[in-house]
Amino acid sequence: MSDVTLLLEAIVRGENQASEELLPLVYDELRHLAAARMAGEAAGQTLQPTALVHEAWIRLVKENDRTWRNRTHFFRAAALAMRRILVDRARHKLSLKGGSGLAKVSIDDVDIAATTMDDRILAVDQSLEQLEKEDPESARIITLKFFGGLTNKEVAKLLGITERSVERQWAYAKVSLFEKMQEET
Amino acid sequence: MTEQKQIEKALFEAARDLEDPSARTAFLDQVCNGNVALRSRLEKLLAVQAPAEKFFSVSPVSTVLPEPVSPPLASPSGRPSESVGVPEAAQPVIGPYKLLERLGEGGCGVVYLAEQQKPIRRRVALKIIRLGMDTENVIARFDAERQALALMDHPNIAHALDAGTTDSGRPYFVMELVQGVKITDYCNQNHLSTCQRLDLFIQICHAIQHAHQKGVIHRDIKPSNILVTTHDGQPVPKVIDFGIAKATEGRLTDNTLYTPQAHFIGTPAYMSPEQAQISGLDVDTRSDIYSLGVLLYELLTGQTPFDSKKLIASGLDELRRTLLEREPQLPSTLLTSLGNTELTSVAARYHAEPPLLISSLRGDLDCIVMKALEKDRRRRYETANGLAMDVQRHLNNEPVIARQPSNIYRFQKLVRRNKVTFVAVAAVALALFAGLGLSTWLFLQEREARQRAVDAEQQQIHLREEADRLRHDAENRQKLTQATVLLSRDKMEEADQLVADIPAPEPNLEYADLFRQLGDWHGTHARWKPAADRLAILVRINQPDDWDITTLDDLRYGPLLIELGDLKGYEQFRKSVIAHYQNTTNPLPAERVIKLSLLAPADSQVLTALQPLAEIASNSLAIGTNVDPSLAAWRSFSLALFAYRCGDYAGAKHWYTRSIALSVGNPSRAVNLQILQAMMYNRLGKKEIAAAELASARNTISTQFNHGLEVGAGGEGFWFDWVFARTLLDEAITDMHRD
Repeated sequence: MSDVTLLLEAIVRGENQASEELLPLVYDELRHLAAARMAGEAAGQTLQPTALVHEAWIRLVKENDRTWRNRTHFFRAAALAMRRILVDRARHKLSLKGGSGLAKVSIDDVDIAATTMDDRILAVDQSLEQLEKEDPESARIITLKFFGGLTNKEVAKLLGITERSVERQWAYAKVSLFEKMQEET
Repeated sequence: MTEQKQIEKALFEAARDLEDPSARTAFLDQVCNGNVALRSRLEKLLAVQAPAEKFFSVSPVSTVLPEPVSPPLASPSGRPSESVGVPEAAQPVIGPYKLLERLGEGGCGVVYLAEQQKPIRRRVALKIIRLGMDTENVIARFDAERQALALMDHPNIAHALDAGTTDSGRPYFVMELVQGVKITDYCNQNHLSTCQRLDLFIQICHAIQHAHQKGVIHRDIKPSNILVTTHDGQPVPKVIDFGIAKATEGRLTDNTLYTPQAHFIGTPAYMSPEQAQISGLDVDTRSDIYSLGVLLYELLTGQTPFDSKKLIASGLDELRRTLLEREPQLPSTLLTSLGNTELTSVAARYHAEPPLLISSLRGDLDCIVMKALEKDRRRRYETANGLAMDVQRHLNNEPVIARQPSNIYRFQKLVRRNKVTFVAVAAVALALFAGLGLSTWLFLQEREARQRAVDAEQQQIHLREEADRLRHDAENRQKLTQATVLLSRDKMEEADQLVADIPAPEPNLEYADLFRQLGDWHGTHARWKPAADRLAILVRINQPDDWDITTLDDLRYGPLLIELGDLKGYEQFRKSVIAHYQNTTNPLPAERVIKLSLLAPADSQVLTALQPLAEIASNSLAIGTNVDPSLAAWRSFSLALFAYRCGDYAGAKHWYTRSIALSVGNPSRAVNLQILQAMMYNRLGKKEIAAAELASARNTISTQFNHGLEVGAGGEGFWFDWVFARTLLDEAITDMHRD
């Protein structure tokens, strides 16, 4: 039995410690997968976070262990891991370009298209920290959707709510976070 | 989560569902009642919907993508990254097109002059989406444009010829090459007069109307998108660049749904208030009407209502405020305010003397422009066609719709029906407030919080239902607009089907005209029931006034109720009409109200109420007054009918003798008079003469009905004058047999 399966079972049994130990494992696996893609073995191939997460799930968890509860915990962890990976990577790239590593993003209505994805990731990450305290529900949906790249359907299954609710939460979360980012710039 | 957040979320969702800006404002007014912080928070959230959507529309895919070593322009599957790339111009050939020179830049693309090699050699305009902008949104927008453009076929719209994808995966578009001059430049360089400019403008309206019928909104009408070419010496305007056109109906592609994030696409000076407002979601064909209004303003005065540079310089908030709140100067006022030298140079461009130029705008044209520029789009022209028709009416020296009494609209802002909606929505929202307030402590426990979320969700279902209703209204409005268009092309049956089942719309002159024409159409074909149904809506949405048209409409409707045997309905109708006009001093409505109220015998209460109206009508015919003979003849007939119903046979005789003397070849009035005369003879015991007159009248009437009715006009009699005569005849015959 793999480490991941053991940890997942521990989580289901209610051992809090396990949850925290799961994250680094998932994180490592995702980073490893992403790096493999970036090594250029499949140049031009579109690699989406959601694909990464699914692939990690298949690799880390043995087939007969893929129960629903395990899956829920895993994907939550994976979305968090994805966030870390994306943020680290964006910081790294900015520092190579000589930037300070601080998120600066133009939220001016006129030209959002001009901001790079790295800027956006850092800006979201920064404001998300604040949002987590005020409105954890919105913060959770942003992590799953934006960083985890999960579809509404997947999120709905994961959280045990309807797709419509996901849609609504996502709609509110987007404006709420965006508004926060505007305030900060 | 805090209770406050929960409330905020629920209200945000409800408000988001209300697409109509005024409905949304009213909703916010109600639910935020005094809570300034909540209100401003909600407004902020609503306002950032479009940019937020845009911000989150792309997930961080690209950062996980491998960095290309060299720009993969030629690779079949690769897409260039946002920052790197050789301009498309470096590839001189795209498909069968050879790029020759760069013509200009549009909202989301670069336009090239290109030469098509196969199957025929010709020059075309080729538009490629700009580098660095190829987000999914733009592509979706382009997909929509492709299909929409193919549907359009109009001499004043630049044709779409082809579409494809460049080697590097960007879509391109091939359009008919229009070698023309920007319309404003053309007008000024050729010193076109105001009339000539209006002729061009009408053609543009027709082109936009065509696009609207194909479900395409231009959304960026401005002089640089209207080029004038000359064809056989005649100027032909062509509308180009339906670049941000969006399908209003149906879904061209699934992605079209996500295209309205065109938050600040558009040119500020030509942008409608609703385009500047919240999200692109709420833009419909009437935004184009507004932009047409700006164009007309500029064609007439040489300036836009608000200065483009100042708008941009003032910043976004101020720009919004200006577009949403500030009333532009009247075109004629603007010219008057110019300095002498400037005015002279402006007037020179019109080949006109300054005072003449100003006076040519004052009145009709001022009103037409301002109606197109209304902040509240419901008060604008409903269709581009309607705008064109009003301009045409001005050119023909006919009265224009834009100048008709403005108080017709006074109570229109929020129709009563909508108020009911608001109250209902507000009540639900207040219940939500109260419920949440009572159970604050429950929020401390997550389980209860979840329960509340479920409750809140249920409340929201109610709110959403209200929003659905508002949407339903919008659908009906769409049907009405379509029907108006069909009507203008004489497709009566199709137009009639569209509006057959919809509830009475908000008062509006164009809708009134629609229902009037449909009522006339059914009436002239003797289909009394549908005629009465359409006219019932007409008299409801006519804002009654001391206005000649609305009483004529009442005359259309009233007789039909008797024709259909709905005597109760008739009784109610005449009482409401009499009540409404009891204080009028205008003899025209007075006379008509008398006539339509006395098609059936009346009790003393009705007659007493009509007495003052009869006096007004009678005074207007006093010796020395000058009334058109045809009008005077009808008025005398009404007075004769009134006297007859009162039992004043001498009076009746006086008035119908006078009417007969005045009669100038109106067969419907003649036959009405003949019947009234026969009714008199009958009462006075001269049965034989009465019978003879009635037989003759019956003959005339049945010949007319067999021959078929025509809509008619004031001079020769309307179709409903014949319906009136037939009803009166029935009464006369029954009377004869009774005695």
